[in-house]
Amino acid sequence: MNSTPLRTEIGGITLENPLMLASGILDENGYTMARILREGAAAVVTKSIGLDERTGYMPPVVFPGDGYLLNAIGLTNPGIDSFGDEIRVAKEAGKPVIGSIFGKDAEEFLRVALKMESYGVAGIELNLSCPHVKGFGSEIGSDPALVEEIVGELKRKLKVPVFAKLSPNVTDIVAIAKAASASDGLVLINTVRGIAIDIFARKPVLTNGYGGLSGRAIKPIGVRLVHEVKKETGHAIIGVGGIYTASDVMEYIMAGADAVQLGTVLMDRGKSVFREIAAELGTLLEKLGEGSIRNLVGVAVS
Amino acid sequence: MMLNSTVLSTSRLSPNVKKLDFEWNVDVEPGQFIMIWSPGIGEIPMSVSHLGNPKSITVKSYGIVSSRIMELAPGEMIYFRGPFGNSFDIRKGKKLLIGGGSGMASLHPLIGPGVHGLVAGRTSSDLLFSEEFEKDKVTLATDDGSVGIRGTAVDALRTIDVDQFDSVYVCGPELMMYGVMKELGKYSAFVQFSLERNMKCGIGVCDSCSIDGFQLCTQGPVFEMETVKNMREFGKERLNISGRRIKYNL
Ligand SMILES: Cc1cc2nc3c(=O)[nH]c(=O)nc-3n(C[C@H](O)[C@H](O)[C@H](O)COP(=O)(O)O)c2cc1C
Ligand code: FES
Repeated sequence: MNSTPLRTEIGGITLENPLMLASGILDENGYTMARILREGAAAVVTKSIGLDERTGYMPPVVFPGDGYLLNAIGLTNPGIDSFGDEIRVAKEAGKPVIGSIFGKDAEEFLRVALKMESYGVAGIELNLSCPHVKGFGSEIGSDPALVEEIVGELKRKLKVPVFAKLSPNVTDIVAIAKAASASDGLVLINTVRGIAIDIFARKPVLTNGYGGLSGRAIKPIGVRLVHEVKKETGHAIIGVGGIYTASDVMEYIMAGADAVQLGTVLMDRGKSVFREIAAELGTLLEKLGEGSIRNLVGVAVS
Repeated sequence: MMLNSTVLSTSRLSPNVKKLDFEWNVDVEPGQFIMIWSPGIGEIPMSVSHLGNPKSITVKSYGIVSSRIMELAPGEMIYFRGPFGNSFDIRKGKKLLIGGGSGMASLHPLIGPGVHGLVAGRTSSDLLFSEEFEKDKVTLATDDGSVGIRGTAVDALRTIDVDQFDSVYVCGPELMMYGVMKELGKYSAFVQFSLERNMKCGIGVCDSCSIDGFQLCTQGPVFEMETVKNMREFGKERLNISGRRIKYNL
């Protein structure tokens, strides 16, 4: 019998279980991240940090609906130079802290990444879903050449592993995944674009109008994209999108994910969800007659 | 889900504070709050100051959203999400309420026969609901001395024999509450604080309201003395609206 049935590994980072905190949910304040790690998360990803301080959009920045959440926070962040304290406090919990970053081009990504690395993070996650300055309206992550340039530049200059978080709002995710093949792992998926309109106010609810859809509603999209990318590239993957239960985690793993991230579920199940799902996963593994979760990675991909 | 209702009536409590009454037939506990939306403008958290049906909010104008909400007239629609947060644990026995500025809105549902109040603010027009306490059961304090004791809530607290109370409930600006916490630490009464931080989502995802890893919007805003005393951020540091760490200058 394996004594560590839930242990997994991604990009050289060992995780005590496959459950990480997703970027942007309860990860602006170091004390919150430390608490989430103590509640059983194997690792946390910080909210996405850029070069300069940004206040983001005026609330409403979230709209919870039936089975989903819409958000448009607006890349609120203190600027990389002011983020060291949060990483230091989060690291007091003694587990991996991964820094999520965004930028407008390869040079900016690199500047932010180097600073983030100097704070002692275990890895860097690239949020490639921010607006593309040149290709107005689209996302950086929809331009394969740019993705390749950013990932390549960071892999050359950083010592820590680099994960590329891809957007589902593209026509050909496999092309983007291939462009990011120099990364130590792909993170799939970010939110799906959506909108909610208040019919009495006759206006979009989110101040930004459009937002990103997350939660239960997007799970089949996430699992499909993980499956498709695993099948076409064989790359290491972190699965994210709509995970609410241990069986959701298992679906992502069987579709090809080595680890997963939880986000919106924290709204419904609170921070204790990590410990709870880890326990449920243990039971589920036994039921499936497996000694290690590693044996199940990608089993549903033919 | 975004809820809506119609403003039934409004009343002005002071030059920049207004009470808005609206129909809403759900149970709201004392200390809980809602997120009020002004379509196309913004959304802000607000204590439910009157809990029956109709319910009321007490709005102080301090920004563009609150100013717009203050302008709402009877018959106009009010949009909101909630109720959010935990509530005060109302114990039997003698109670003292300590409210600073608009913090009194959250304490208002606790005012009742025999309940004592300490109401503090910068100037006389900041002292909300002080006239609802029984005459001999209220202590007032203003920074400018325009009414009551000239000084802070802590100065006023020092004139009160806290040992006579079984429970104390506190709501106001953080530094006022920090001072009150230090002073109340000398006594054995059951004490609860309703803390205040930026609130953006109200549903425990954005982290803007967090203090020492607790989310005010889901695990608070009400915390007991024991918890507050052990917080590393309370009264010392907070994140600004962009998430940048700011130290209070004490
Ligand atoms: C409120 C909120 C903020 C988010 N902020 C970020 C962010 O800063 N960077 C990022 O890469 N993803 C961000 N995301 C996306 C999540 O990390 C995740 O990819 C997505 O929500 C799907 O997972 P879920 O359904 O478990 O929430 C955010 C999601 C939410 C709900
Ligand atoms: S207001 Fe967003 S977590 Fe509390």
